[in-house]
Parts: sequence; structure tokens; C-alpha cells
Amino acid sequence: MAPDEPGAGEPADTRRPRSVYGVGSEPDARFSLANERTALAWVRTGLGLVAGGVALTSFATFADMPGVLDVVAGVACLVGAGFAGYALVSWRRNERALRLRRRLPAPSGLPVLVAGVVVLALLLAGYAVGSASGP
Amino acid sequence: MQPERTALAWQRTVLGVVVGALLLAGAGLRSGSTVTVCAAVAVGVLALVPAVLRPPTGGLPGHGRLYSWSFLVRVASLVVVLAVVGAVWALGRALGAA
Repeated sequence: MAPDEPGAGEPADTRRPRSVYGVGSEPDARFSLANERTALAWVRTGLGLVAGGVALTSFATFADMPGVLDVVAGVACLVGAGFAGYALVSWRRNERALRLRRRLPAPSGLPVLVAGVVVLALLLAGYAVGSASGP
Repeated sequence: MQPERTALAWQRTVLGVVVGALLLAGAGLRSGSTVTVCAAVAVGVLALVPAVLRPPTGGLPGHGRLYSWSFLVRVASLVVVLAVVGAVWALGRALGAA
């Protein structure tokens, strides 16, 4: 039997997306559940960035701080949206690999996340040092 | 235990979306931005109501097939909407200050 065909006697699988459920065979449910939790963890990571951006803008409003913090906050929100979208892409790639009994793809979002957080931290640290040493 | 952990992950995520929406609504209220408040409240309601009406149990249905995609798309879309509202608000403030 070809790997893209459902097993004999199984009801037709009508789940979406077809690019995932239309190929391979059903993996162990534990792996699918773990994949779902990983996607949710990426969604929460994006949500954390959004909440951080909103908190930063809120703080800037409260403390009457200059617009550069608002720009950093806006970028944090947009990057958070990007990670929420990445959660879906990552889930789809992993589930497809599980169904086709292939190796899981490398988590390409992880280096981006680490680099982004480091750049954000350096920007904010530079801004804080610049503000403290200014007139 | 795997379904239980997945259900808890769903509940944490929904709670996070609701708290994020409340944070944005509070910030919008303080700055007097009605559009931000309305959008944030809408996101909070859209996240909370389905979770209360049909709480994610993480369990497998009778036929043993998981239906994750539509729920994942829904929760990720809410986070994206929250992010766009927050970004527009923050960048609008930055442009106003410039």
C-alpha cells in the first residue's frame, strides 16, 4: 500500500488541512498531542511578546517617555504576531513529518527568537544607558 | 496524562489571550483610545466564550482522531489580531510623538 493511502477498513479522513491529513498514516496520538502542545507553546511565546509590547507602550504612556519605546513596542507586537503564525506553520510541518514517518524538521523559529530577544534586550539596555548618561 | 497536559496547555493559552486582551483594554482606557478598547474586549470575548461553552479537554474523540487545526488557527488568529491592534496603537503613538 502506498504511504499516501488510508488503511483498508478505515473511514475516510475528512479533516483539514488536506496537505497534512491527506498524506501518510495516523501516528501515535501521543506524538500528535505533543505536537499540539508545542504549537501552543509557540502561540504563548508570541503572546508574551505582544503583552511585553503592550506593557512597554503602557509604561511609556504613564511615564511620558519618548517615541522610541513605542517603536520598540510596536516591533515586539509585530514579531509576536509572526510567532503566532509560525506556530501554525511549525505544527503543519511536524504533523506531516509524523504522518509520513520522516524525521522532524529543525525548529527554524528558535534561532530567530533567540536573536530577536537578544537584539531587543541590547536596544533597551542601550536606550537605558543613553538616557542615564544624558543631560 | 498526555491529554491532560494538552488540555492544560490549551487553558493556559486561552487564559494568556484573555489577560493580554485585558492588558491592552486597560492601556487603551488610560489613553482614551476607544477603538483599542473595543478591539481588545472583542478579542477577549472571542477567546473566552468558546472556551467556557466547550472547554478544551485534550481528550481523544471516540473514533480516535484529533481535530487540532481549526482550534489552533482560531487561537493564533486572535493573537495576531491582538498584536496588530497593539502595534497600530504603539506605532501611532510613536508617529504622533515625532
